[in-house]
Formats: sequence, C-alpha cells, structure tokens
Amino acid sequence: MLITRRQLLQSSTALVPAFVFLPTVIRRAVVNSVPESGIGVSENNRTLIIVQMAGGNDGLNTVIPYTDSRYYDYRPEVTIPQEQVIPLNDEVGFHPSLTEFKSLWDEGVLAIVEGMGYPEPSYSHFQSMDIWRTADLEGKLKNGWLGRYLETLNRDEWSTFRGMAVGRALPQELSSPKVSIPIVKNVVTYRLKGDPSYPTATQARTEGLLELYAAAPPEKPYATLLDNTMGVAYQSVQALQQADQAYKSAIVYPDTPLGKGLKLIAEAITGNLGITVGHITIGGFDTHADQRAKHSQLLKILAEGIHAFYQDLKAHDRDRDVVVMTWSEFGRRVKSNASNGTDHGSAGPLFFIGTKVVGGFHGQRPDLGNLDKDNLRFTTDFRTVYTTVLEKWLGASAEVVLGDNRFGELPIFSQE
Amino acid sequence: MGWEATVDYLIEYQDVDDSELESRLASLELDLERFAPLQRWWLLHMIYTKRPLQEKMVLFWHGLLTSSFKKGGKGPHMCNQNELFWEHALGRYDTLLKAVSRDPAMLMWLDSKSNKKDAPNENFARELMELFTMGIGNYTERDVRESARAFTGYTLIKKEFVFNRNQHDFGAKHFLGRTGNFDGDDIVDIIFEEPVAAEFISRKLFEFFAYDDPEPDIVLSLANTFRSNNQSIKAVVREILTSLAFYSPKAYRAKIKSPAELVASTVRILGIETDGGVLRKLPDDMGQSLFNPPDVSGWAGGPAWINSSNLLQRLNFANLVATARRNIFNFDPYELVTQKNITSAEGIVDYFISVLLDGNMPPQEREILVEYVRGLDTQPSGTGKTTEDEKLRSLVYLVLASPDYQLA
Repeated sequence: MLITRRQLLQSSTALVPAFVFLPTVIRRAVVNSVPESGIGVSENNRTLIIVQMAGGNDGLNTVIPYTDSRYYDYRPEVTIPQEQVIPLNDEVGFHPSLTEFKSLWDEGVLAIVEGMGYPEPSYSHFQSMDIWRTADLEGKLKNGWLGRYLETLNRDEWSTFRGMAVGRALPQELSSPKVSIPIVKNVVTYRLKGDPSYPTATQARTEGLLELYAAAPPEKPYATLLDNTMGVAYQSVQALQQADQAYKSAIVYPDTPLGKGLKLIAEAITGNLGITVGHITIGGFDTHADQRAKHSQLLKILAEGIHAFYQDLKAHDRDRDVVVMTWSEFGRRVKSNASNGTDHGSAGPLFFIGTKVVGGFHGQRPDLGNLDKDNLRFTTDFRTVYTTVLEKWLGASAEVVLGDNRFGELPIFSQE
Repeated sequence: MGWEATVDYLIEYQDVDDSELESRLASLELDLERFAPLQRWWLLHMIYTKRPLQEKMVLFWHGLLTSSFKKGGKGPHMCNQNELFWEHALGRYDTLLKAVSRDPAMLMWLDSKSNKKDAPNENFARELMELFTMGIGNYTERDVRESARAFTGYTLIKKEFVFNRNQHDFGAKHFLGRTGNFDGDDIVDIIFEEPVAAEFISRKLFEFFAYDDPEPDIVLSLANTFRSNNQSIKAVVREILTSLAFYSPKAYRAKIKSPAELVASTVRILGIETDGGVLRKLPDDMGQSLFNPPDVSGWAGGPAWINSSNLLQRLNFANLVATARRNIFNFDPYELVTQKNITSAEGIVDYFISVLLDGNMPPQEREILVEYVRGLDTQPSGTGKTTEDEKLRSLVYLVLASPDYQLA
C-alpha cells in the first residue's frame, strides 16, 4: 500500500501540467463528494474575479449625485465639492480618485449597478457580509454562493485552481466543505521549504508528509480539512511557481496589496491554471471617522489596481474571458456623523469591469428624497446580479446555486 | 502535581513568581511603541512565562475585545491594552468592559475618539453588544442608537481618555427596555442583567478551551456560575478546567492550534532559547498577526486557520524548528536521543511522539514514520550516506508538520 501511494504521488508529480489535477489518494474526500455528473457546466473558459470592498463602502461618495443639493445638505463634513467630481452625466459623477475608472467608463467596459441591497438591511458588518456571501437572508446557509457554484462543476473537469483567493483567509463566498481551493498571499513565500543542509532529501520528506496526511483517520476532527488542504497546497505550489516563471507583462501594477494581488491573479489566468472564480479583498472602507482622506486613498487604490489588471488582460488577449465584479456589505448613512465620518448604512453601487461588460448605468439610483431612517432604500436586489453572473457569465443555473430563480437578470453582459 | 493542584497553579497565577521572564525581556530593551518589537515581546511572554493561563487569557481577550496597532499607530496604546488584559485576565468581565470602554487603543479602533452628543458614533456601542456581550438578534437597532448616546463624551485628548461632559448626552435613553439617564457604565451593567450575556461569554470561553458548539447544559451551568459570582471570569474558567467535558475524548485534539500558540508552544516544549527575532513574523504568515487583527471580530479561528497558504507556512515553521542549527536559534535532536540512549527506529519515533504529541499518534501514521526512518537507514534519500542529523531532523519535521500536531 505504501509503495502504491508513493508511486501514485511520484507519477502525479511528473504529470503536473498547466492544468492541475490532484491524485486520487490525496483528494479522496473531495472527489467522493463532488457530484458524479456536473450540473450546468458550460466549458466556456470564463472567469469571474471578485474584488470585495470590505467595511461598507460609502457609495454616495463613490458615484456622487453632485447636482442634488440634498447630497450636500445631509453630509456637509464628508461631501466632495461639486467642482472636484468627475462628471458621468448631469446627475452623477465619480469621486476624484476614480480617474482610472473614468477611462474604463469612456472605453465602455465599466458598468455601474446602482442601488444594490436587499430587504430589511442589516447594519452589522458580519451579518450583512454573511448575507452577501451566502446569498441567504435567513442566515441558515453556511457555504458561499460561489462555493456552491464550484460544487456544481463536473468532477472530470475539476482542477485545483477552479477557485483561487488572494490573501491569508478563505473568503466565505468560496467556502464549501466539498471544494478546497488555493489561498495565496505571495508567490515567493508560497512554497514548501526543505532542509538547507540536505536539499535533495526534500522530495522524499514531502512524500512522507503526504502519506501521513492521507493516513490520518478521517473521523478525527478536521481530518478531512487537513488532508484536502494538504493536497491542494502541494499541487498548487508547483503550478503557481510554473505560472509565475512563465508570466511576462509590460504592465506596471501599482505597488499596493491590491495591485500585487491582482497581478498574482493575472499570472494564474495567463498561465492557464483554469481559474473560474478568483477573489481578493481590499479592506478599510469602514470610515466612521475622518473619512475624506481615507476614502479617497482607498478608491485610488481600487481604480488603479483594477485598471492595471484590465490592461494586463488585454495585453495577453484574455480580456474577453474575464470580468471583475466589486461588492461591499453595505453603503453608509446618508447623514454624516460628528467624527467627520459616516456610520453603517444600506444601499450602494457596485462595479463590473471587462470587455464583455455592457458599460454604463444599470439598476436604479436610490432616491435621496425617500430615505428610511437616514438610509437609502435599495432598488436592486444583489441576488439579481448574482443570477445574472451565474446564468449569463458562468453559464450556471441560478436556481441550483441560489435555490431561487425569481430575481431576474440585468443586461450587464454583452451577448456577442 | 494532581490535576486539581495543576488547575490551582494555573488559575492562582498571582502566586507564581514570573520575574525571570521580566528580566529576560528587560535585557532585550525592546521599543514597545513599535509594532515588530511589540509582537516579539508578546511572543516571548507566551514562550517563557510561568503563568501560561494568564497569557492564554490575554490572547483570548485580544481576540475578543480586539484593537489594532494599524489604527492606533505608533505609541504605547497597544502595549497598554495588552497589559490591561493581563491585569484583568481572570477578573470580572463587567469591570474589564468598563475599562476597555475607556481604553485609548479601543477608542481609536472603534472611532470613539471624537464621539459627540450631536452625532453619536455608533461603532463601539454596536460592537459592545454584537461582538463582546450578546450577539446579534438580542438587541435592536434602536438599542444601538440609544446606547451610543450613553457613550458620548468618552473621548481622547492627546490620546489619553477623558470624559468630556460638554459632549455627553445627559438626556434619557431607552435601552433594552429600561429608561434612564444612562452613561456607558450603566449600559454595561444593564447588558449583564440580560441572561444572554452570561451565556454568550461562557460559550466563548468554553469554545476557546475545549471544543466548538458546546452542549446547552454546559453553557447554562457556566452562565449560572458567571452570574452567581459577580461576572467572574475566574469562576467560569475554573469550572471549565475542572469539568468532565474538558477531559472527555470529545475535547481531545478538537481545536486547531492558533498560529501564536503553535509557535510559542513548540519553542516552549523543545526548550529552545531565542530572543524571538526569527519567530516574530511567523504567526503573521500563518494568518494571525498579533496586534493587527483582520477586523473588529478578531480572528475567525477554527477551520479558518487551515487553508493552503496558512498550512504551507505551518509546515515551513516545522522546517525552521527541525533544521535549527544556528547559534541564535538552535535545536539538536541528536543530543536529545543520545542522552536518552535511543537507537532503534521505533525508539526514536516513539520518543518524539511522546515529547511532541503526548505519546499519542494514530498507529497507521506512526507506522509511516517508522518506515520512513528505516528507509533512510537502509536506502539514503539524498546523495551519499544518510547522517543521523538528517534522519532525526526530518523525523522531527514530520512530527511537527503532521496533521495531529496542528491540533490541540
């Protein structure tokens, strides 16, 4: 048995191509639980990249109703002066930090979906994030909507990199007990170190370790998690190092965690690792105090990072395969507080960026004249956007993934 | 020591002299107003303290009543908050919360520093109920707004706490069904009149020490102890550590070690001498940056500690320890087994299982280790002959990197 395992492991190492499959011995638990026949799989090589703006982005100061005097009356401490707004039309414009978004807008590859939210909004970061991540208002589902989507993919076409998240934590959107995905912070440190005195012995030692993980009694707490994660880690290290070495780009990414993270995702996409869903978070949007400078900085990081990413995909001729979607757990209170900031609010806009995106406005702008306790009333359910992404971009069944198909769709993606 | 005496020793830590640790730290002259030296300072506390329970409680409080160096910035505030947790580690929870509501690091973290009566900042009031004492669903949005008014005027001047009477809202507040001219301390007292608050903290403590999702009876009993002992954390922790549940098989290796605990306990068990320089950043790489939590809810912990990135860094930590041959960070397994006069493959495997896994590794895993060691004896993996050094160090690596060692 021992020899069989080792042979399996060795043969699988030799076979590691750009498209990575795990050997059955380390993937037993995952493989056993992924459905025999995938549902709604469309082999379209399309990729969705989620950029989470964590903390609750102030939508009103992102897409600004700069000709509405109520905007200036409600929040004098945090408003953006009219002359600084980058106009998109006579009613709204971008925050001045979003110059790169304006150029994407002018190219027609940036969509703004306004008024995103859901009924009876939660003002808790964690509850609202859970709602967005699980697409479940009741709080009963624990797995992420994209984790559930990944479960539906055909196991024959499964690859380690179907999902990938940049950071040190698994984002709940992608969580599923049936699917383990690589979480990568930095490609340089994403490797297994050996004994520097005996470098040639590392491979045998690593094989011993894989055997240990495979042999652990599966009924013990966390045994399956540890075994699956070990398998994914081992396989993804090699694939990612290869992709990193092969990657060349003339695009200079901004030197920010978001910029570096998006570059890593671009390496994985252009290295054909088979990414269907990628995820990265930019935090810090919880601007309760001294909002102006912080928010301005964050939006600049956001726009510059995504702009570079899009240019890079274009240069690699992959821009038609990839869309970026942003989201944030809520917007902020229309009225500012006494700390020159804003407290937790409700509805806000989100963005789609990509060559296949129908640029312009989608959804409906919330009405500053019809507030709910100083908060905007949402106009577009976030599950409408999820339905659109699943059905029109990923070619999956929204009914299967969301358990519901009554949310309708928006014309966000070009059908050409 | 019997287990009752051990529990006493752990809990009655005020009787334990820890001056050796203090002189060790003093000799390093760390600048505790800066992030990296502060992380080192705390990690060294965890490694070398003779009061491990007190230090474990500080970690518990840092995860629950969390704040971040990244928001407070350079200065003594995070160190002071850590010492506040140290001082109140097993004290009364209401007392601790009242102190925390005045703690500069917390006031900066939750934006209470310019909290004024005309426009109260809700951040602290919300998290006090949602994350610290009750959990969502046990209060209304109105309770959030009203209690935020009670904390108005809790502010900082030159990063020191002041109660600014001019910015405090002295009007009547309606909070959790009561009405009165409440201030922040009243809010804390009212919260602890709610049964759910005792259950909330009891569950958190049990989950920290034993296992997740405890049986309702256990939580109710602990909550009862908490209430009948004036919100005493010590009483709850004593009950946990002396409970049958804590010694049951269900509680055995039921938790993933947090990165800080993994690093500190490994160095502690193996008796490695270090000034913490090589260790400081390791918990960060494994997903637990001390003094810099990801958000106001601290670290999710549990299964969230294990993903491909964090696991790789855990394995690389095992490698760092197993291959420690430097003067500043040295571990020599050869010396250990020679002292014990152990030579057989089974003997050395069992020895390291006893040191690192309290003698308990599933037999099929142990068998893999024995085969591995025998294989190196008869069929060297690298070029040339396998040395004892290579053999023992790779065995120690495998034990430290094993799935069992990730659990506590």
